[in-house]
Amino acid sequence: MDRETLRRLEMLNQLSLTEAQKDSVIAFFADREKDLEALDAIDTSSTERMVHVMPIMTVVREDKVVQAFSREDLQKGAPETDEGYWCVPKVME
Amino acid sequence: MRYETVIGLEVHVELATNSKIFCSCSAHSFGADPNSHVCPACCGMPGMLPVVNKRVVDFGMKAGMMLGCHINRTTTFDKKSYYYPDLPAAYQTTQWFAPVAVNGVVEIETSKGKKSVRIKQIHMEEDAGKLVHDIREDTTHVDFNRTSVPLIEIVSQPDLSSAEEVEAYLERLKTLLRYARVAECEMAHGTMRCDVNLSVRPEGSDKLGVRAEMKNMNSIEAIKRAIEYETARHIDALENGTEVLRQETRRWDDIKGKSYAMRTKETAGDYRYFPDPNVMPVVIDDEWFDSIQRSLPEFPEVKRDRYISEYGLSEYDAEQLTKSIALCDCFEGAFEVCKSAKDAANWMMSEIMSILNARKMTYDMLQINGKSLGELILLVSGGKVGRANAKKILFAMFDDVSIDPAAYAEANGYVMSNDTGKVEAVVKAAIEADPKAVADYKSGKEKALMALFGKCMKELKGNCDPQTLKTILVEMINK
Repeated sequence: MDRETLRRLEMLNQLSLTEAQKDSVIAFFADREKDLEALDAIDTSSTERMVHVMPIMTVVREDKVVQAFSREDLQKGAPETDEGYWCVPKVME
Repeated sequence: MRYETVIGLEVHVELATNSKIFCSCSAHSFGADPNSHVCPACCGMPGMLPVVNKRVVDFGMKAGMMLGCHINRTTTFDKKSYYYPDLPAAYQTTQWFAPVAVNGVVEIETSKGKKSVRIKQIHMEEDAGKLVHDIREDTTHVDFNRTSVPLIEIVSQPDLSSAEEVEAYLERLKTLLRYARVAECEMAHGTMRCDVNLSVRPEGSDKLGVRAEMKNMNSIEAIKRAIEYETARHIDALENGTEVLRQETRRWDDIKGKSYAMRTKETAGDYRYFPDPNVMPVVIDDEWFDSIQRSLPEFPEVKRDRYISEYGLSEYDAEQLTKSIALCDCFEGAFEVCKSAKDAANWMMSEIMSILNARKMTYDMLQINGKSLGELILLVSGGKVGRANAKKILFAMFDDVSIDPAAYAEANGYVMSNDTGKVEAVVKAAIEADPKAVADYKSGKEKALMALFGKCMKELKGNCDPQTLKTILVEMINK
């Protein structure tokens, strides 16, 4: 982790870090890199690929429509709504 | 220097399920009020857990099998992170590490012959919501009705090299997925969307050029125009140094016929994919796998050959009918009722095709129930309704697919009259009104008889067997 990588991550995560926070994040990642290096050193060439840490699988549901929530309830916590829409500051690509 | 275009496609297809991929909200909200088909799960509320819709996996597998893919029997969902207001959880649940289907192949045919296009993978994922920018100047309005509607993304290898090949590939995908009844695949409705990855390189080179990804194309024609424009732009940059090509995402403006840079392309790393801890792996056991395999439809080519061998259809008719599963359904339904493949094929190839053409409808838009068509054919072959009136009934059936041909014929006076007295009265009146035509016919002018025949048939509103009318007409003239 260097300042340039952190700058990109800040942008992707929509964050704005102070200089002190940046130093702390960089130091934290330097430690984690050591952990990863330790993991990398383990020979896994004969280990079968694992898709999940637990031997479990998902349950699936039938394709049935259930209308269980009202828009009014869902929008109670919204800072702003208009004609049924949630409102956010203007975004244009 | 000669250049070649290298194209790979990412095609998003909305699956024809009833409910969304991870919650039980309706997946069909066309024309609905904003945010009327939403719940805490598809609105990305904290703490909500997704539950996988089985039919989405069924359809993902089925699509994979239709495109010759290997099906991953353990398939997993992953989180793709990006911030945008149309994505309420700030990540999209998609498949990155173990997509449902991989390594397929689609055969296409163009003017240059046959070609195989390799499919890298098919993954299942949720759609994003819709942003509306023009209600108020300072605000973007967000509608989550479309959020979590199930999609598959079909990623091809960069095996395509022209607009013609892209068109053939998209048409083939559409045909196969419609045959499997997993999706509507209608670009105009947004149920099939296509991103084009394009680069240009010197002919014969094995190194890929700088790639542009083009979005926002909603018709095959627009895609073809965009490919031609973008190819020219790349060659111009390489030949004349008009600009420095960058790996970027571009938006196609079909009205101006130009593409515009949207943003520098994210790399996979930017999305920080990681296994979704909220969705456990989907394990497809033998029973599930076999049931999907058994449900696969007859492929278009197999159906075409069967139409020729079993029904005695001409190669041309069989080829045309099997271009769309909607045509096949109608033809087979009609045959089931009228038991005459020849009659059913004739009606499909003449009347149905001409109405589709006149109304500028694609084959896939045909909604007429085949059984109703079969009943209509029986009314004609049984002498109950004249051909001209049967066409009127067929027109009405295009507007209202619930029409029962027999009841409609009855209600509109299209049932042929067996009342010879009525026919004779009409013929008598026609003869008396036009002695010149009678004289002309008697002097050998066959046309004069046809003129009288036409007048009588018009008077009878088409509800008379033509042979019966002709016999009575000739008899009464010669009396």
